[in-house]
Amino acid sequence: MTNSILSLSGVSVSFGGLTAVSGVSLDIEQGEIFGVIGPNGAGKSTLFNAICGLIRLSDGSVRFQASDITSLPPRKRMELGIQRTFQSVQLVKSMSVLENILLGLHRTISVNPFRGIGGGASRDAVVHAREIAALVGVADVADTVVDRLSYREQRLTEIGRALASGPRLLLLDEPAAGLSEVEIRDLNALISGIRARLGMTVLLVEHVMPLVMGLCDRVAVLETGRLLTLGRPKEVASDERVITAYLGASGA
Amino acid sequence: MTTSIMLKLAAGVAIGAVLPFLTDDYTQYIVNICLVYIVSAVGLNLVLGYAGQLSFAHSAFMGIGAYATGVLMVKVGMAFLPALILGGVIAALVGLVVGLPAVRVRGLYLALVTIALMYAVSWVLLHWTDVTFGANGLNVPTPSVFGFTLATEHDRYLVVFPIAVAMVALAGMIVTSKLGRAFVMVRDIELAAACNGLNVMLVKAQAFAISAFFAGIAGGLFAVCVGFLVPHGFGLVSMITQFAMVLLGGLGSITGAIIGAVFISLLPELLRNAQWAQEIAYGVLMILVIVFMPNGIVGLLRQRGLLARTAMINPLTDKLPKTPSPSPAVPTSGVFFATAANRAGR
Repeated sequence: MTNSILSLSGVSVSFGGLTAVSGVSLDIEQGEIFGVIGPNGAGKSTLFNAICGLIRLSDGSVRFQASDITSLPPRKRMELGIQRTFQSVQLVKSMSVLENILLGLHRTISVNPFRGIGGGASRDAVVHAREIAALVGVADVADTVVDRLSYREQRLTEIGRALASGPRLLLLDEPAAGLSEVEIRDLNALISGIRARLGMTVLLVEHVMPLVMGLCDRVAVLETGRLLTLGRPKEVASDERVITAYLGASGA
Repeated sequence: MTTSIMLKLAAGVAIGAVLPFLTDDYTQYIVNICLVYIVSAVGLNLVLGYAGQLSFAHSAFMGIGAYATGVLMVKVGMAFLPALILGGVIAALVGLVVGLPAVRVRGLYLALVTIALMYAVSWVLLHWTDVTFGANGLNVPTPSVFGFTLATEHDRYLVVFPIAVAMVALAGMIVTSKLGRAFVMVRDIELAAACNGLNVMLVKAQAFAISAFFAGIAGGLFAVCVGFLVPHGFGLVSMITQFAMVLLGGLGSITGAIIGAVFISLLPELLRNAQWAQEIAYGVLMILVIVFMPNGIVGLLRQRGLLARTAMINPLTDKLPKTPSPSPAVPTSGVFFATAANRAGR
């Protein structure tokens, strides 16, 4: 408890009459990789939006490193160190990989207004962006326009942009969606590398079970907006209620 | 890559330096009008093409700039240049004041709000007769700059051309700057923009204000080039004409806006002997563009590899090894990561 980086208490989000997330309380420990799973419509993405500030809570509160961020807009939360990727890749398709990674540094980037026309990013920022590109594995296409890249490369670029600002808490929304088995193994290595080398706490929503089970320290299961159970991957995987939620009442 | 903008600007200046030696009075007038619409279309492209906001108020901002310049010269007796700049600033302020609430709605709703603004401005220009002379029109006096009276079309060109070049260069600076990147983020990835530290509403309002400044300056230039202002000159027809310029040239490209502005401004002149065909040609042209060149002339040129993409940053490719070590090494040299690791508590 004392070491938690993010605490949700009684978080509820409703859209009109529909309650997407209902009374979820969670504590994410500093430095852990935490998975959120659940059937479609369980409220996983809504929970993510609530954490990064894209939607307003109808009830409950969000604390980040002991400060209440419930009413902060996304940009303030980003400054505090919360950064995310999106389920549908959010990249500027007409920009290069490098430029997209630099967008993650937008707030802090220093520009040189006297370099040619307009303010190019400072040399430090560009060097840093190239390092990020190498870290996530898109160095060889760093100067290619995103439009021409494979889905895998686009996903990695987006992770690169999220890493660029050096967040304390990284939210990954279905990072493995649409990737092959081999690519997922690489992703697994990348995410554990991010934690090990950069000391970031990672929270991920994912449907791909091998990734979740192999990577996460703890897993929370959501069903119809409620927290069904929470524990180590193995415990969760053998939990009767989880099996029922995924396979139906008479399934197992 | 920003050298490519420099090259284009230099080419433009070279053409502009030769042009007045080849023109008679009337042709020079057309050239001046082309320049006015270049400034305006480049400005419209900032809000529409770069920031992706469907604004129909651009012709109204042009009207505000034109009338502000004219009225300041006639009623206040201000000299042309200060009146022009003040006109641009007034248009920008109106753009900001209107932009801040307007950008809370998006897409077609924003279009409706801005169309309402356009009609409101037309109404004010028509009915505030004490200041604007309403439907009688406003006679703009012959401008003079630093004691030099701009009596002929060629004289006016000497002022209009450098101002147009400066405005285009300013637009080039804006789109390759941090602000330009913010515009594009808001256009393409609004949610991610918010999560990457942008105040999305403020960025949209800035886009409105800046594009209104361009429209205002264009309006002021229009006022002295044409010499006579009427309220309906800044209504829906003018708006659609300017949309056509930006769409024909290519959204999100300054070169495109310039090409489009020149082409659409010249179209009536090319069809002067067949006036009945003007509107038909206009319609056919628009349909052809939408069907065959959805990204405008510039989009087509880029697709054919005839025009390079303008980089938003200096990629430093010449100064760094293209492929760093194959296995992702721990970046130690980067100042950002050092601080990131510290912040993350390591």
